[in-house]
Amino acid sequence: MRNPFEEFKGQATKRREIPLDQILRSKEETLSQILRGYENLLKNEAKDLVWLMQYSTVIKAYTIAEEGIKGIDYTAEDIEEFCYALDKTDQIPYLITGPAGVYISALCNHAKEDEITLRLQDLNVKINLLGYRLPEGKRLIVEGNVGDFTGIGLDGGELIVEGSAKNYTGAGMKRGRIVVKNNVGFNTGHGMTGGEIVVGGRIKGLGKIVGGKIYERDHLIFPSEEMKPFFF
Amino acid sequence: MKEIEEILKEIWPKARKKHLFPQLPMPQVVEGGEEVALEMKSKQLQISASFLEGMKGLISLEEALEAVLDHGISHYMYCPWDFHTHLTLYSEAKKALKDKRLAQKATSYFMDVVANTYCVKERETKLPELYRRLPKEGVQEILASLYQKIWGIDLGVEGDHSERVRRLARIPYLEKRLWGESIKKFAKVIEDLLEEEIKAEQGQDKKVPNPLGEHSLDNYSLEEIDRGLRSFASTVEDVQEFKETIEDLKEELSERGYAIGGMGRGEGNPIDADLLYYMKLAENYTLPIRKLPLEKSGDLHPYSHSPWEVGKPFHDIDPWTSFGKIMPGLTQTWVRREGEIYGEIESTPDCLIIIDSSGSMTNPRERLSYAVLGAACACNAYLKNEARVAVYNFSDAFRGNKLLLEFSREREAIYRAICRYFGGGTALDLEDIAYLLKQADQPDIFIITDMQITNLEKLIEFFSGIENRVTAVHLGHNVHTARFREGLKKKRNISLFLVREKEDIPKIVLGKIEEYWSSSL
Repeated sequence: MRNPFEEFKGQATKRREIPLDQILRSKEETLSQILRGYENLLKNEAKDLVWLMQYSTVIKAYTIAEEGIKGIDYTAEDIEEFCYALDKTDQIPYLITGPAGVYISALCNHAKEDEITLRLQDLNVKINLLGYRLPEGKRLIVEGNVGDFTGIGLDGGELIVEGSAKNYTGAGMKRGRIVVKNNVGFNTGHGMTGGEIVVGGRIKGLGKIVGGKIYERDHLIFPSEEMKPFFF
Repeated sequence: MKEIEEILKEIWPKARKKHLFPQLPMPQVVEGGEEVALEMKSKQLQISASFLEGMKGLISLEEALEAVLDHGISHYMYCPWDFHTHLTLYSEAKKALKDKRLAQKATSYFMDVVANTYCVKERETKLPELYRRLPKEGVQEILASLYQKIWGIDLGVEGDHSERVRRLARIPYLEKRLWGESIKKFAKVIEDLLEEEIKAEQGQDKKVPNPLGEHSLDNYSLEEIDRGLRSFASTVEDVQEFKETIEDLKEELSERGYAIGGMGRGEGNPIDADLLYYMKLAENYTLPIRKLPLEKSGDLHPYSHSPWEVGKPFHDIDPWTSFGKIMPGLTQTWVRREGEIYGEIESTPDCLIIIDSSGSMTNPRERLSYAVLGAACACNAYLKNEARVAVYNFSDAFRGNKLLLEFSREREAIYRAICRYFGGGTALDLEDIAYLLKQADQPDIFIITDMQITNLEKLIEFFSGIENRVTAVHLGHNVHTARFREGLKKKRNISLFLVREKEDIPKIVLGKIEEYWSSSL
């Protein structure tokens, strides 16, 4: 009897590999490395049971984060992908916005690119601590809203938020520039010693500011007659 | 043109075989514009002769034709595959771009990238050769640059689009389950280019052509649109998402001859997206109806006596009551009547749908209303069985917040009555129900409510006194539902169902009567 499938013998059964497959594989591999680094950070932070936003805690977390990302070859798109993975519970066991922000900041600060754009408009969570210690020569553009402690300890870099930020924006920043297109929350610039914060919308409240400049809708509001530098 | 037709005859069987014999008719070669190679109407591929003529000297006719066919077939075989996928992709793109035209363009380009990439990966194709020769401007240039990167084939793109292409190249185009997320990312990356394209179109007053054809509702038959809407209604998160998408496509659907009148197609009233949503969603459910053996026997049988008179036929004389005598005044004759004997063929009675649209119920035009969906399913079930449906939609009936629709088979009118929302207090006017019940012969009653009815006791009393089959559906559980159940537990013609979620609706059995149910077993 004639095999009815005879004429399909010549049909290729092995799938052709195209560069897209390779790109996607390497993307997945990078993302899983980044996730491993984050999980490592969480394991360390979980020992303290409660993650308190303290100067020493952030420094410690940042050091662990830097260790975790060592040797990973990633791009700005990988960082963005990681931010979205934070939103999905199937990829990340648990999300703590503090350590997550520190970890993303470490990724940005050590990225190959000088200019990083993170398109985070569709993110459900608002990540805290974005732009922590952003060094000189780096420009971080965030499309979407961000959480508390944005750009704290900024170290010469430029952070642009095309959205709104919450409380303690630019706290403890030393130099550099933070631009927030919309509004910011309370204690803006608390403990900042230099650099400038430019807010396109409204500032709910300023913190105790030591130095630097703050603009609200093109008006210099610190230093001014009403707001003098604070000495700790 | 003849030459092209000859080549097509030769190439078409090979192309079909390559794509594992898609169910497509032989493509047609038509006189069309030079800028667009392919059009797909329903399943008919139409290839522009002028486009192919224009490609002469750049690429052989055979290669160009094969590539165009590969492109068209891949759309049919892989992406979008059906109208439901098309709608879903559009809906996701709209979420990202918030603009109808931008979303339509993004959807079209995304489907092209997916279909082309699928073809290049899975089949032997001349598509890269064709793309190498096609004009590259705006979005087309970016897409060609993307193809170059993800296919690994030089397409002669010169501009530097590395950042954009790097982002686009990370999208898993061939992962169907991720298409929703993928199109959002894709749309965001090319958003500014799409805006420029629309501006250019407004300036030139004509559409920037997509060389391998546009994607519109013309690609689908009315049956496919019907099916697509049905699936889309059951997969969208809520009525708002469905509404938004349908509102955007309203004009195209009307142009295509799709309106909700009748069976959902043909000339009719303008499309009401809410109604269409419940119509299509309800089509996904089939509620069983217990039929009643109501058929009349058609035979005449002796019913009563009347005195026999001279001239009346003899054969109906009853000798037993006539004492064996034939005498006017004494002799009795039979009066015959058609018997209402239960026959073997069962039929479905008409149904009165009583739906509560008071403030405690969900507004069907804002969120998915289980009451409306349940009533719509019941309506479909009765209409399918050639019965008629009447609607009593009530809120505070004594203040005029009620709607009465007499027995009818007009689906659209019934749906309109079901979807009406009053949002006030909850009281039934039992006189209205009695009036509607009189309009048909022992109709069934389908009532769907949360039972928080002010005159619930009167309703229980009313139901206690009727013999119609009543299917009562209550949404959620409360003291009122318990009271209703308790008050009518002895009535065998009333069956009660609880609906907590969408999945409970198929569990409803219409017209279930314990007595009848047990006797039929």
